Amino acid sequence: MRAPDEARNKEVRSFRTRLFTAIMVIVATLTALGFYLAQRRITADAERNLQQTFKTELSSMHELEQLRHATLAERCNALAGKPRIHAAIEDDAIDLLYPSAKDELRDLMEGDEPPPEQAAQSLHARFYRFLDSTGAVIKPPNASDVGELDAKTEAQLSLNRLPDTQQIGYVQSGGDIQEVIAVPIFSTDTGDLVSALVIGFKPFQLEDKPIGMQSGIWVGGNLHLPALPPSALSSLNEKITRAATDSESDQNYFRVEVAGAPQLLFYKRLNPGSLFPPAYEICIHPIAPWTAQLHRLRWQIGGAGGLLLLGGFIASHFVALRMSAPLKKLALDSEENRAERERAEAALATTAEELERSTRYSADASHQLKSPVTVLRVGLETLLGCEDFRPEVYEQLSGLLHQTHRLTGVIDDLLLLSRMDAGHLRIASAPVNLSQLVDEWLDDLGALPDSPDVKIEKEFPSGLFVAGEKRYTSLIVQNLLENARKYNRPGGRIRVGAQSKGNHVVLSIGNNGRTIPRDENIFERFHHSSTPSVVSGHGIGLNLARQLARLHGGELRLVRSENDWTEFEVRFSAANGVNPAA
Amino acid sequence: MRRLKLLSLKAVFSFIPASLLASAAVEGRVELPKSRSAPVQAKRYEIVTKAGVLATQPPLAVVYLDGNFSQTASSPIKELAQRDLTFVPALLPIAVGTRVEFPNLDDTYHNIFSYSPTKRFDLGRYRPEERPIPSVVFDKPGLVTLRCDIHEHMRGLILVLNTPYFVMTDTAGRFRLDKLPPGKYTLKAWIDSRTTREKPVELKDGHILHVDLP
Repeated sequence: MRAPDEARNKEVRSFRTRLFTAIMVIVATLTALGFYLAQRRITADAERNLQQTFKTELSSMHELEQLRHATLAERCNALAGKPRIHAAIEDDAIDLLYPSAKDELRDLMEGDEPPPEQAAQSLHARFYRFLDSTGAVIKPPNASDVGELDAKTEAQLSLNRLPDTQQIGYVQSGGDIQEVIAVPIFSTDTGDLVSALVIGFKPFQLEDKPIGMQSGIWVGGNLHLPALPPSALSSLNEKITRAATDSESDQNYFRVEVAGAPQLLFYKRLNPGSLFPPAYEICIHPIAPWTAQLHRLRWQIGGAGGLLLLGGFIASHFVALRMSAPLKKLALDSEENRAERERAEAALATTAEELERSTRYSADASHQLKSPVTVLRVGLETLLGCEDFRPEVYEQLSGLLHQTHRLTGVIDDLLLLSRMDAGHLRIASAPVNLSQLVDEWLDDLGALPDSPDVKIEKEFPSGLFVAGEKRYTSLIVQNLLENARKYNRPGGRIRVGAQSKGNHVVLSIGNNGRTIPRDENIFERFHHSSTPSVVSGHGIGLNLARQLARLHGGELRLVRSENDWTEFEVRFSAANGVNPAA
Repeated sequence: MRRLKLLSLKAVFSFIPASLLASAAVEGRVELPKSRSAPVQAKRYEIVTKAGVLATQPPLAVVYLDGNFSQTASSPIKELAQRDLTFVPALLPIAVGTRVEFPNLDDTYHNIFSYSPTKRFDLGRYRPEERPIPSVVFDKPGLVTLRCDIHEHMRGLILVLNTPYFVMTDTAGRFRLDKLPPGKYTLKAWIDSRTTREKPVELKDGHILHVDLP
């Protein structure tokens, strides 16, 4: 018993381990997935927030810048519409162009540069030039009046054609960047584009930038970000140049390393659609504080994930224990069940063997008995044939002969029973006229020599057919009628009734006589009555009748036994299509 | 004033011999461009521009006799006023050496100037009561575009001619030039800043020559 217990425990343990592992794998996977998603979400959120902050700052700056541009453009357009400037261009008096403009632009050019905090409102110009009909700069007669520029800077003011709308541009002059606005000049007479006025300003810069943010301008492949050391500038410049030339978008951002520190770099085209070379506003913002915060958050999430995992570990241990308990019980139960089943099977096999043996024994015994009984009967019949005995001897011989007939009957019954027990009896089903059969047996009953004085009542229609083998059906009827006669009291009655009920034919046989006690099993083989009686049977008739009735698909039962009346009922299968409808 | 009277007298006397001597005349018709239904806004200004060409609206022409005339001693003073923010007349033909006065008949300032190569001048801002009336002597032949520095839409034209014999056509293009000296000349018709038609003419004393400039 120890070995199966151990094996079973081992199996339960293995199941528990597998369950635990599976739960742990699921918990770990979920935790990892949750960690990954949370981490990704936080990173994305943080990046978006940073971007948002950055964009808000930039857009507020750009709003100011646009406002300034609008003001500048309005001013420039007003200047470009001055009659003297128009007269100089339209009336072929180019020599008067700059002298006339000098008067008109005096307020714009004169005075000192405003302090940076007023740069947005200020309209102080640094220089101005006119473009001829081809877009080239018209040389001023006296550069000191119009803001001096070196040849290289002045060349950047030329456009490949005259602009028909206001253009924003950025030019490099020395180490500085100048912002220029070009406004078209249309002839008041013809409406044709005749010239353009280009006015240069100090680029607009937002002073109250967020902490750490640095801004500059990229134009013509050069980055001007004075706050950065030259070494950092060149590598940054390369990246921006690549981004600006490769990307189709006017604005974008990417991460850069500036002097070993990670930074987020935003760039935005300052002059989209301009005839001047593209210029970009560049803003860099250190992301170290942001990454530190992100790291902290990651650690927090990691810690939470670890705790969750630990909790999962403990929980899954208990869950595995809890879940394997019914399994253990189930294993135990099934083990018991198996043992029980085996025992039952063994008992069944033994019983079958015993039955087989007893059946065989009964059959053998019956056969063995039959021959001596025959010999005995023949001998008695021979003796009865002799005439030299006294009359009392004949009476005794006759009684002995009768006993041999009874013995033969018992042996036949036993043989039949043993054949039934062995399952060798086959019923050849055919319509049997039950009414006729009962009539014949009642006639025989009356003719018997030791018939007591009984009254017979018949209540059945003629021509009731049942399905079965006539021989055995007759045996059933005979057994019941003989019992009714045998156990009747003198002057009693026998009532035989039969009727068709649906698919069955019910035959009932009742008689007066002693009452059969309730607890007496009269259908048991070799049964003997517990109450003393003058008559006795060999105790297999009822058993045989019932077995035969069952073989015919019917049943034999005791309906009642009380108040001097005992009644049996046999149910036969009706012969199909023979009986009239009930 | 005295000087002005003398000048005008002198002008009259200098003109008399010529008119007495000259009895030839030319008349005819100039084929004017079709009168365009100019934009309402432009109508008011009288000088319109199309494709950079200045012309009067409705179209008028100046017919003049081109030749080698001796410089007349003096010409009468002409007047080109500013009224209702326009130049009146919009086109003024004058002989070389003529002084033109620019009286301001509006209630506002005007600043008449010209950047034309023929005559550059700038009268500065002046009010209607400005005295003496700002004036300019035009000493070179050619076309002068007048502008106002305050009212950028204002345009006026002065056609400075190298001859004392000129006349403006009516709106149908008809003209008549009287008291012309006999001789061979070229009759010219200024139609707009880019178009001048001409025909050689021979004027005979006492004859009226009919010339059409199609």
